[in-house]
Amino acid sequence: MSPHEDLPGALHGIKVIDLAGTVATGYCGKLFADHGADVLLVEPQEGCPTRRLPPFAPGVPAPEASGMHAYLSANKRSVVCPDRAALMALASGAALVIDDRPGRDRPLTLDELEHCSADGVLLSITWFGQTGPYRGYAGSDGVCQALTSQIDWLGEPDGPPVMPGGYQAQIIAGMTAFVASMGQILARELGNVSGPGHLDVSVLESNLCFSEIEALRGFAGKPTRERLGVNRFRATYPLGIYPCRDGWLGVTVLTPSQWNAFCELLGFDDLAAVERYQQSLERLQDADKLDARIQGRVARESAGDLAKRGQALRIPLTIVPTMDQLFDVDQFVERGAFADVTHPDLGALRLPTSPFRLHAMPAASGGEVARLGADTEAALQQAGCAL
Amino acid sequence: MGWAGPLATRHLADMGAEIIKVESCVRFDWFRGWESSQRWINDNEAEKHEPFNALNRNKFDVTLDLSQRRGRDLLLRLVAVSDAVIENFAGDVLPKLNLGFEVFKAVKPEIVMVSMPGFGSTGPWSKYRAYGSTTEQAAGLPHLTGHPEHPPTMVHIALGDAVAGLNGASAMLVALRHLKRTGEGQFVDLSHSECLLPLGAHGIAEQSLTGVPPPRLGNRSRHCAPHGIYACGDGRWLVVQVQSEEQWRALRGVLGGNVAGFGDLADRLERSDELDAAISGWCAHRPAADAMDSLQSAGVPAAGVAASKELVADPHLQARHFWKILDRPYIGQHPNGVAPYRLQDGPLEIEWPAPTLGQHNREILGGLLGLSDAELADLERDGIIGNRPRLPGAVGG
Repeated sequence: MSPHEDLPGALHGIKVIDLAGTVATGYCGKLFADHGADVLLVEPQEGCPTRRLPPFAPGVPAPEASGMHAYLSANKRSVVCPDRAALMALASGAALVIDDRPGRDRPLTLDELEHCSADGVLLSITWFGQTGPYRGYAGSDGVCQALTSQIDWLGEPDGPPVMPGGYQAQIIAGMTAFVASMGQILARELGNVSGPGHLDVSVLESNLCFSEIEALRGFAGKPTRERLGVNRFRATYPLGIYPCRDGWLGVTVLTPSQWNAFCELLGFDDLAAVERYQQSLERLQDADKLDARIQGRVARESAGDLAKRGQALRIPLTIVPTMDQLFDVDQFVERGAFADVTHPDLGALRLPTSPFRLHAMPAASGGEVARLGADTEAALQQAGCAL
Repeated sequence: MGWAGPLATRHLADMGAEIIKVESCVRFDWFRGWESSQRWINDNEAEKHEPFNALNRNKFDVTLDLSQRRGRDLLLRLVAVSDAVIENFAGDVLPKLNLGFEVFKAVKPEIVMVSMPGFGSTGPWSKYRAYGSTTEQAAGLPHLTGHPEHPPTMVHIALGDAVAGLNGASAMLVALRHLKRTGEGQFVDLSHSECLLPLGAHGIAEQSLTGVPPPRLGNRSRHCAPHGIYACGDGRWLVVQVQSEEQWRALRGVLGGNVAGFGDLADRLERSDELDAAISGWCAHRPAADAMDSLQSAGVPAAGVAASKELVADPHLQARHFWKILDRPYIGQHPNGVAPYRLQDGPLEIEWPAPTLGQHNREILGGLLGLSDAELADLERDGIIGNRPRLPGAVGG
């Protein structure tokens, strides 16, 4: 049984075909799948690219060992497609077909899609887009984060910039592509638009959401962000993550009332009395000195206790949970932010649920991950293909 | 207001939805600026701020003082002719104005409402204060970036805002699809912090799979080499992220003798210091742009680290017509990045720039709600609508 049959969801009745199986296409498809769409991950014999991405489960052979693939693929069907005719049959009636090709060797062209789904939308999520001089360039998360300037603000002033861990740029692109494709699908369902369409989404442009404001400031001749040090950003100070006796405390103090409350919390009467420290920018000038004070003061405290007491004083403080602490954060537990995804070889994995909580039609909580090709026979039969 | 809500509605506006932004002359969008002095107001500074101008194009703007009965009534009349309401106030703002989902539902039973506080509207943290930095910290994400000798490392000053904005647009579209299919509206609740958890999925999955989180290795990786950021001859930095043996062979083809002695992935990971030194040596002799060209021509993922002020002139973005130059009162010509998705015939249009305060009062309140000129004049006289910021406590008009 396909997952959607016992889980209607807000996107029930929408069929999505992912022909790429990258992190970006996978996350886009995941949002569809978690909300009840029928998502077919069409994979080559050796499995799609996310199956080869770390982290891997020790002792589980490829292509089923990837935890990242499990995260991206719950509630989807896995189909190994024998030929082009079968692909056309699978795509019949699809609202969305996703690939990752920058304009060459498209596995299913827009014309072919129109033939099997009159209002189908083709979505290409690539590193750099379908046009432009970088179109054929090799991409990566770090490459895109470099070209958007996001990492130019991260790290020590004289050292190299810092590359964010994991697949963050691709996840952002998947999210952006979901907005774009949901918009196109809804426009067709509302009757505002008809016929085929080809969406061009790039990881690069998706991640400009983090730096576009700075770009406008630069164009206007105003100063733009630069590296000031780890966790240092103009003009907010204190801003940072400090070790306490039982974990890490996240601090952001911007306004005079937050600063005065922060001084009250930590017993910094002398600092509260310094007139110029009422201004965040002035505090930033003395950040090294103030950091030593804060660090010395919070080291023997409990991070959770400080965060709680700080929040009671309306200061934006929080614990910074480590990966193993995340699952027990009371706020996340209460809201069901994590749920078990199960895989026949990996067992149960605790992973984030869909972040948007629709009260009338919630997303799936957790779900099952299909082994490579597990749904091939059923999907091809359903599509009317002889095996 | 601010970043997340306006980014969410900007996506919808770019795709053709009619977005009515409601501000007031006293409580205007704080992305217009923060300084509340009469001089700041007189200099029209509220119309000159880049953050506001980046996030609000293609929207209508009305001012309504919601603390006055007639202002609140007019908001409810707008809700009655709308499909959805979105807000990202702190949790206590709407209740104080006697507004909220139940109130909106009373005037429009099938309304969709998207509410996006930092930690969500339920749970023990629902009233907690948060900036975009706080939500990144609370999501544990900083434990996945940076050098082990540094504290857990943030990747933005306000990561949570932009990401929540994207999720807000997504959530709205899903709820509108449910409305179209079933005729049912609903309340949608977003937590900025939960929106960031997918960005750390690799770390969360590793913890779940192995019981151990991934180590922080600076710019290195346990799975790829070379993987780092290298200083170039012109003082700029170059990202190189080799993710396959094919890319490694391509890099070796470009760097030649510099890296001839390195073997398979295991060897390269083992000798990371040597490998990084060899690549640094090669980079030191050429500008970052040349290094990027050489490596990319061979198929190696590499890029110079751009500065924000260079983005508008970026050749690739220029060729893709990513930046549109708009003309707006008070600031004149300024760029806006188009929607980060386009159809086969090119970027989505930007029809008009970010609105000035109350720019569409007449068009929306007169045109859409049918208020007469005399009624609009009354509202203006009583400070319920207007076109200029006002200090709290100042008399309207």
